[in-house]
Amino acid sequence: MSMVPSVELPPDQRQTRTRSLVGLLTPGVLWLGVFFVLPLLIVVVYSFATNSPTGKVIWEFSLDSYRVLWGKELFYNAYIRSLVIGLEVTLICALIGYPLSLHMVQAPPARRNVLLFLILIPFWTNFLVRTYAWMLLLSNNGLINSLLVALGFAKQLLYPSEGAVLVGLVYGNLPFMVLPLYASLARFDFTLMEAGSDLGATVVQRFLRIMLPLTAPGLVAGSVLVFIPTVGQFVVSDLLGGAKVDMLGNLLQRLFTRSNPPNWPLGSALALVFMALLTIVVLVYFRTTTEEDR
Amino acid sequence: MINAPRPLHTPPRQASIGTRLLSLHAGSTYVFLYAPIVLLVIFSFTKDTFGVRWTGFTLDWYTKLFNDQRMMSAALNTLWVAAVSTVLSTICGTLLALAMERYRFRGRDGLDALLYMPIVIPEIVMALALLAFFSFSFGIFESLTGITLRMNIWTVIVSHVAFSISFVTVVVRASLKGFDVRLEEAAADLGADPRTTFWRITLPLIIPGVIGGALLAFTLSLDDFIISFFTVGPGTNLLPIEVYGRVKRAITPSINAISTIMLVVSMLLVFLSQFMQRRADER
Amino acid sequence: MKSLFRLLLGVLVMATIAACGAAPAATEAPAAEAPATDAAAPAGPAFDPAVDKSKLAKEINFLNWTDYLAPEILTNFEATYGVKVIVDNFDANEDMIAKVRAGGSGYDLVTPSDYAVQTMATEGLLQPLDKTLLTNAVHVEPTLLNKYFDEGNVYSLPYMYGITGIAYNKKTFPTAPDSWSTIFDLAALEQYKGQFSMLDDEREVPGAALKYFGYSLNETSPEAVAKVQELLIAQKPFLASYNSSDVNRKLASGEYLFAHAWSGQAMQARNGLGDEFSGNADIGFVIPKEGGMIWMDNMVILKESPNAYTVQVFMNYLLDPSVAALNTEYIGYLTPNKDAIPLLDPAISALYAEGFSPDAEVMKRLEWAIRNESTAVFSDVWTAVKGE
Repeated sequence: MSMVPSVELPPDQRQTRTRSLVGLLTPGVLWLGVFFVLPLLIVVVYSFATNSPTGKVIWEFSLDSYRVLWGKELFYNAYIRSLVIGLEVTLICALIGYPLSLHMVQAPPARRNVLLFLILIPFWTNFLVRTYAWMLLLSNNGLINSLLVALGFAKQLLYPSEGAVLVGLVYGNLPFMVLPLYASLARFDFTLMEAGSDLGATVVQRFLRIMLPLTAPGLVAGSVLVFIPTVGQFVVSDLLGGAKVDMLGNLLQRLFTRSNPPNWPLGSALALVFMALLTIVVLVYFRTTTEEDR
Repeated sequence: MINAPRPLHTPPRQASIGTRLLSLHAGSTYVFLYAPIVLLVIFSFTKDTFGVRWTGFTLDWYTKLFNDQRMMSAALNTLWVAAVSTVLSTICGTLLALAMERYRFRGRDGLDALLYMPIVIPEIVMALALLAFFSFSFGIFESLTGITLRMNIWTVIVSHVAFSISFVTVVVRASLKGFDVRLEEAAADLGADPRTTFWRITLPLIIPGVIGGALLAFTLSLDDFIISFFTVGPGTNLLPIEVYGRVKRAITPSINAISTIMLVVSMLLVFLSQFMQRRADER
Repeated sequence: MKSLFRLLLGVLVMATIAACGAAPAATEAPAAEAPATDAAAPAGPAFDPAVDKSKLAKEINFLNWTDYLAPEILTNFEATYGVKVIVDNFDANEDMIAKVRAGGSGYDLVTPSDYAVQTMATEGLLQPLDKTLLTNAVHVEPTLLNKYFDEGNVYSLPYMYGITGIAYNKKTFPTAPDSWSTIFDLAALEQYKGQFSMLDDEREVPGAALKYFGYSLNETSPEAVAKVQELLIAQKPFLASYNSSDVNRKLASGEYLFAHAWSGQAMQARNGLGDEFSGNADIGFVIPKEGGMIWMDNMVILKESPNAYTVQVFMNYLLDPSVAALNTEYIGYLTPNKDAIPLLDPAISALYAEGFSPDAEVMKRLEWAIRNESTAVFSDVWTAVKGE
C-alpha cells in the first residue's frame, strides 16, 4: 500500500509536485505556527520561570517547577486515576463505537448521512446542559430511580459516583470514537470478508484477521481522540462525581486558576510533561499500528 | 488491497443474526445518546421552576428566552464562530492531511508530532497561552503602529481554528490510509489534469473523512468554554460562557429551552440541506 | 459522494447566513426582565447635577461575577446618564486576574474579592479612586471600610459581602445546628450520608475545619494543618459532594438537609431565585458558635481604563441607597450600604434578623481569610484531600 511513487520522477513533474506540496502545507502550517507554536513557546518559557507570592510569573530562570513536579507525591494519585479512567472510557467507547460504525456503513447510502448526523446532533446542545441532563436522569428522584421503584426494586444512589462519571465521559466522547471509525470503515472493502468466508474463515477469524487490521487506523485515531480529552477534563468528574476526586484536568485547572496563589510555572511544567509523554505514546502507537505495511 | 475497489456501497446483503445484533446494538446506542436529550426537551415545557418534574405544559420559558437579548445574541455569535472556524479548519486540515499522507518531505516527522500537540494540550493551557500571546503581540503591534487592538470575536475564531485543524487532520488522514493511489494514476493516464483528478477522484473518496472532520470541528467549537472565555474581548457574548454562568447559579427550564432551540435549528439545517441536495440530485 | 460534500457546504452556508446578521453582535444590555423605562422619567435616582455630562464616555465595560447585578439598574442608569454599561462575567478571582494581568483586557470596572484587591493593587493593576466623585461612599458601613486588603480604601469600595456558615433544613434541625460538629462529628454523620455538601473551595473547607478545632482560619502550624487534613479525608465519604454552585437549589428542593454554604446561597434557597426556582420556607442559616468566615467583593477601576470619570459616576450610582437596596434584593448577598438596609423589602429584613446577616455579636466571631506565603499550604491540603 505504498502511497509514495517509488520511481524517480522526471524533473518537471517533480517541480509540480513540490509546488502542490507547498500549496497543501502553507495554510495549515502557517496557522499552527503563529497561533499554536508561538503561544506554546510562551508556556515553555513559563515553565522555567519563577512564581511570585501573588501568583504572578516572574522572569527568573529556575528549574524548580520540574523538580517539584517530580517530587510531589501528592500528585501521583491524580496521575494514576486519570490513566485508569482514561483507559476505561476509551475501551468502552471502542466496544460501543465499533459495532455502531459497522451498522452505519452497512446502511444504504441515503440513510448513512442521517445516521451520521444522528450521532452528532445531541452534541449540538451545550456540553454542560447535557451533563446536567444526566444528573437529572441519575438523581435520587430521577427517571431511572423512578423506573426502578416502579419495577419493585430499591432506589440506588446512582449519582454522584464514579459510575456516573464513567457514563458521562463515555456519553461525551463517543462521537470522537465513531467519526474516525466510520471514516475508515466506509473505505473498507467488504468483498474481502466474502473472500475470507469463501476460504473457510469463521466470523471471528475474518474480523480479527481482515477487518480489524484494515480499520486499525480509525480505531487508533478514535482512541487517541477519546483518551486525551478524558484525561484532561474536569467538568464531568466535578458534576457527576461530586467534585470529590482529582483527575489531571482538575489539578491543572487548580494550578492555573483556582489555587491561592495560582502557580503558572508549575502548571506549565506539568502540562508540558503530560503533553510530551502523550505525544510520544501517540506517535509510537500510530507508527507501530498503521505504518508497518510501508 | 489487491482487487480494484468495488463501488463503496455494496456491503454484503445478508440479514443474518449478526446484522440483526448490529441493528439492536445501534438502536440501544441511539437510545443512550438521546435519553438525556429527550428529557431536556421535555423539561423545557414544564411549569416546574426547578425543571426537574413535570407539573404541566407551558411555553413561558420560550417567551422569556426570546425576550432575553443576551442569550439570543450569545447563540448567534456562537453559531457564527462555529461556522467560520469549521470552514477554515476543514480547509487547512484536509490540505495538511493530504500533504502528510501523500508526500515525503523534510520535517514531516516534526510536523507529524506538532499536529498531535493541539489534541494533547489541555484546554486550560492552550487558553492561557493564547491569552498571553494575543496580549503580547497586540502590545508589540501598538508600539509599532500606535493602533490599539483588542480581543474580540475574531480572536476566538482564530483560536478555535488553531485547535480544530488537528482534529480535522486526524480524521481525514484515517480515511486516506488505504487509499489506492493507482486510481489517481489511472486518471492521470487518461489525461486528467491534477485539479480534475482531485475534484473527481480524490475528494469524493475521502469525503466521509472530510465531513467527519468538519462535524467534529463544528461540535468542538459550539461547546468550547475555556478557550473562548480567555480569548474573547469585552462585549462579545458566547453561548457556552453564558450558559456556564447561569448553570452555576441554577439550571432552569430556560436553559433547557435554549438547548432545545439550538437542537432544532441544527436539525432543521441538516434536513433542509438534505432536501435541497435530493432536489439537486434529481435534476 | 459529492452530494455529501454539498450537504456539508449547505449546512455551513446556512449556519453562516443565519449568524451573519448578528455576526459581531455586541452584547446588548440585558433588557430581559427590566421594565420598559420611559425616557422622559427614568426610574431610579435622578441625574446628579454635580456630574459633568460632557466628560462622560458613551459606554463602559464592567467585568462582574455572574448574576451579580440587577438588570434594571443598567437600563435605569443608561436612561438617566446616557452611558451604556456592558457587562461580562467571571466566576473566579483568578480567572479575572489572569485576563487583567495580561494587559489590554478592555475592561474599566471589576469586582474582585478582598484578597484579590490586595493582589491587584500590589501588582499595579488598579488606579486610585477620586473620593470627591464618590459622594455616596458616606452610606457605606464604616466597619467594612479600611480592611487589611486596602487600608484607607485607596483603590476600592465595598460592593457586596457575605458570610460562610451552615445552611440547614428546619424539618431536620428544629433548632439551629450552631456548631461545626454538625458537619464534622463523624459518628453523627452516618445518618446524613450523601445528603449534605461542603463548598468546593481550598480555603473555605479547611477554614471550617480549623474553626471546629478552635483555631483561627489563618492558622498554618503543621500540627493544625495535619489535623485538618486528616479530618477532611475522614469526612469525605459521607459527603454528597463538594459544591459551590447549585447548593441553593439543592437545599431548596430538599436534596441536601444541610450544607456548608455562603449566606447568599442560603438566602436564595429560602426565597427562591427570581422566577428560576421557588424558595423553601424551611431553610435557615447559622454562623456556628466556633465562628465563620467573612468576605467581601469590591469595586475597583483598572489602571488601563481611560474612562475613570464615567466609571466613578456609575460607582457612585451603585452606592446610592435605593440602587443598593434594589441590587441587594436581586442578588441575595449582604449590602455594605447601611442606608440601604432600611429600604429593603420587610421580608428580607426579617431574614436578616433571623441570622442571614451578622449582628454585632456574630460579627465578632467572623474572620477574614488572609492570603500570604504560608497560607499556600492549604493548596496542598486540598490536593491531598481530593487525591484520596
